[in-house]
Amino acid sequence: MKKATLTVALLATAVFAGSAQAAWVPDKPVEFIVTAGAGGGTDTFARTVQSIIVKYKLMDAPIVVLNKGGGSGSEGFIYGSSSPNDPYKVTFGTNNEYLLPLVAKMGFSADGLQPVAAMALDEFLLWVNDKSPHKDAKSFIAAAKKPEGLKIGGSQSKDTDQTLTSMITAATGAKFTYIPFKSGGEAAVQLAGGHIDANLNNPSENLGQWKASMVRPLCIFSTERMAPGAKVTKDMGWSDIPTCKESGIPISSYQMPRTIWLPAGAPADAAAYYAGVLARVRQTPEWKTYIERTSQTDSFMSGDGLKFYINQDKAKALEVFKAEKWTVQ
Amino acid sequence: MQNPSAVLVSRFVAEVALATVTAAIGAVVTLGALEFGTGWGDGGPQPGYFPFYIGVIVMLASGATLVEAILNREQHRATPFLRREQAMRILAFFGPMAGFVVLAAVLGLYVALIVYLTATMMVQGRYRLWRALAVSVGSAITFYLIFEVWFRVPLLKGPLEALLKIH
Amino acid sequence: MDNFGNLLDGFRIAASGYHVAIMMAGVLLGILVGVLPGLGAPNGVSLLLPLTFTMDPVAAIILLTSMYWGALFGGSTTSILFNIPGEPSSVATTFDGYPMARDGRATNALTLAFLSAGTGALFGVVVITGLSGWVTQFALKFSSPEYFAVYLLVFASFVGMGNTSPFKTVVSMTLGFAVATIGVDTISGNVRLTFGIPDLVKGISFLVAVIGLFGLGELLQTMEEGLRFEGIHARISPREVFRTALTLPRHWVTLLRSALVGCWMGITPGGPTAASFMSYGLAKRFSRRKEGFGKGEPDGVVAPETADHAAGTCAILPMLALGIPGSATAAVMMGGLMIWGLTPGPMLFIERPDFVWSTIASMYLGNVIAVVLVLATVPMFAAILRIPFSIIGPMIVVVCFVGAYTVSGARLDLWFALLFGIVGYLLKKLDYPIAPMVLAMILGDKMEDAFRQSMLMAKGSMGVFYSNPLVGTITTLALLLLLWPLVSRLLRAAQSRPAGKTG
Repeated sequence: MKKATLTVALLATAVFAGSAQAAWVPDKPVEFIVTAGAGGGTDTFARTVQSIIVKYKLMDAPIVVLNKGGGSGSEGFIYGSSSPNDPYKVTFGTNNEYLLPLVAKMGFSADGLQPVAAMALDEFLLWVNDKSPHKDAKSFIAAAKKPEGLKIGGSQSKDTDQTLTSMITAATGAKFTYIPFKSGGEAAVQLAGGHIDANLNNPSENLGQWKASMVRPLCIFSTERMAPGAKVTKDMGWSDIPTCKESGIPISSYQMPRTIWLPAGAPADAAAYYAGVLARVRQTPEWKTYIERTSQTDSFMSGDGLKFYINQDKAKALEVFKAEKWTVQ
Repeated sequence: MQNPSAVLVSRFVAEVALATVTAAIGAVVTLGALEFGTGWGDGGPQPGYFPFYIGVIVMLASGATLVEAILNREQHRATPFLRREQAMRILAFFGPMAGFVVLAAVLGLYVALIVYLTATMMVQGRYRLWRALAVSVGSAITFYLIFEVWFRVPLLKGPLEALLKIH
Repeated sequence: MDNFGNLLDGFRIAASGYHVAIMMAGVLLGILVGVLPGLGAPNGVSLLLPLTFTMDPVAAIILLTSMYWGALFGGSTTSILFNIPGEPSSVATTFDGYPMARDGRATNALTLAFLSAGTGALFGVVVITGLSGWVTQFALKFSSPEYFAVYLLVFASFVGMGNTSPFKTVVSMTLGFAVATIGVDTISGNVRLTFGIPDLVKGISFLVAVIGLFGLGELLQTMEEGLRFEGIHARISPREVFRTALTLPRHWVTLLRSALVGCWMGITPGGPTAASFMSYGLAKRFSRRKEGFGKGEPDGVVAPETADHAAGTCAILPMLALGIPGSATAAVMMGGLMIWGLTPGPMLFIERPDFVWSTIASMYLGNVIAVVLVLATVPMFAAILRIPFSIIGPMIVVVCFVGAYTVSGARLDLWFALLFGIVGYLLKKLDYPIAPMVLAMILGDKMEDAFRQSMLMAKGSMGVFYSNPLVGTITTLALLLLLWPLVSRLLRAAQSRPAGKTG
């Protein structure tokens, strides 16, 4: 499946790269709306894109970055879709754009925005405290099957982390108490302090603690191991982390796309323009450094390929939401 | 004209009115919380627990304030809350301020602040039109430079800016 | 431990002409954003971020931290002169700073504020320098129950029985809590109390409320009395500044207590705003001149300012060493670190000691520069006060609303600011205390989150607040402080029963 999306994505890139010099060009400041607070994954993503665009002068119009992370990011989505035809409001998010409205009355509709591109897929890992008795995912799951269960901390409620927790429970029968924190960073510190048994953070959220041997990864929710690279700690690098599937949690892949949106009524030319700019952002060495440093999977989707991906991702999540009775209406 | 120090509202009326309003807010909060569970589940309090009891406490404390006011009514009735001259001063200040907000919501902050500053300077400070305009337009430009140009924080803009293509 | 040697190396890097120039630029920009309400240190720092993309990380962090110090100082200026807190953490400074200014002691208030802030900041850096290893260990011990206990402690130290009706205090506080619950609930993901209004999903920012309650509310009150700011004729003479500076050592108890409170809150991290409130509360409680508080008591300026800056500086340490931002501004800086290619965490001290220690060294220099520069800008602000009221009054109104709008760029916030202005005016006139409401708005949702996270962890058992010595101690301390006024009142009542005083 991944291969298919990649091919579609590459095709789409080629098409859009061709039409990058399309009719529409911004002639006033463009707002980059970040649907998260400063310092989080989405913020770093948006600001990295901004810094690359500025450095390589990929856009003539100036960029204004606005953090609107209130209400789990809904503040940004509401703002981003508030003027339905405005091509000057570019919203940065994750899959929360189309998943949040399913689980709570957030005040915005997923149809209010059109997808422009997805630029990276962030991975999810199962992390434990370094002093944890569980050496691998199997023994961790076995411990969680005991009546008292284990505590998993994560970022926000009914978002990616809790959905994955629920998927693990459904797949293995393990019992977890999910404890929501404000951000993945908080969950990382709570795990380093030994206050929770595990978290499901993205690589970049736990990197600092892993380097210092305060936490360690048990497995990665991906079809294959990560690409070989430098060691992170004395004896382990990213590629040494087994996939969760090979270590006994039958979930083959769980990823979160980093997405970019425009208001639904914005002209197609504008969407094509931004997709073209972003495609060029992706070809810079700075982007490669960003992907490597945050250990994300490089992937670029736009157009129909992206719509296809979104529908699939939504359908998968909806199964979990329905099983957990989280859906609204 | 009437006596400027005539009492329009006594402290008693004000106390009772405010306590009634806060009690009403408490009721709204309590009702709003009912949408979610207000009990204590096995994972601790449910989402509606805190708002529910906060609403209840607001109502109870407002009730107590009301009782206090009634107990002290003799004294409170004799204490003025708002005199005529005070009301006039407040209105003279609050009226334009509220007008500014209405204008800002419709036409954006820049237009509203130019109109508001010019008007208040001319009416209350008795400045000439050109001086008032110079100050108000000057401050609008200062705001524009500080917020939009230096710090890249957009302020609320209206149809006029769109027409003039000021971004 | 050769922290001292490292620090000297840090000074060697930080004290270069280029870096000092960056510090001065950062501080000046910081003062500007600090003075404007709504445009706070987090805004300022995130707006400067793009500039730093092409800079060396050391120069970049110096620019951002200097801006932070400038903003913290600038925030106090407007608190004292106009009763509009330029920064959330300077709300508590308005309580006594503004009355002092109104009595014609603006110079004293400003000088005291800046000097005690500088003292707090330096104390904070010394703590960071000396205890960096130990402090990071300590911060890791904090989980949700400890957070809840700390917030409770803040509340307990601040909310005492004033001389107004206790019911009015409760109404004011619970209304604040109610406002804090509006929006998305972190624990359940439900959207609460928005009554179907999309703009309410993000909640009501306490900054908007504070701008209305303090700034506009105060203006309305001033107008009603026909006072027109006559009290404030701030002529800043160097001699007056110098004379006030000499009085600073007299406040040494408050300075020390507040610096400790600030460091503790910066590290744990309760944040500078909570620190300033707690410190103000404690200063009032332990003061022999309790009645003077709220009417222009110098200790009431020294306490929040010292704690605010001590917390602000100390918050940098957990950010660098653990990746826990102790304040909103530290969170933005952490984002910057990641963009520059640095990973905050314990390894940063080992991998990039040059970066860490020149940052710390720059904090010493930056704060000294900030005190000097901010004192130099005072005459400028004093000049503003000499502008006729028919210009400056409406101008303050405009600044308030622009500030309210920039908090999150929402039109609805203009109306809220207006509404809170009326509320502030009414509450003040009817002797409802406003500070508990603001504190409840600031801490309400954090407190609720921490409480419910603790309950989830402990499967609904309240015993979690006594589950280890750390949380047990904080909880006990909080409960003691909470009950102390009641106990002391009962004792006093028992002693003075013959006097027949009614409470």
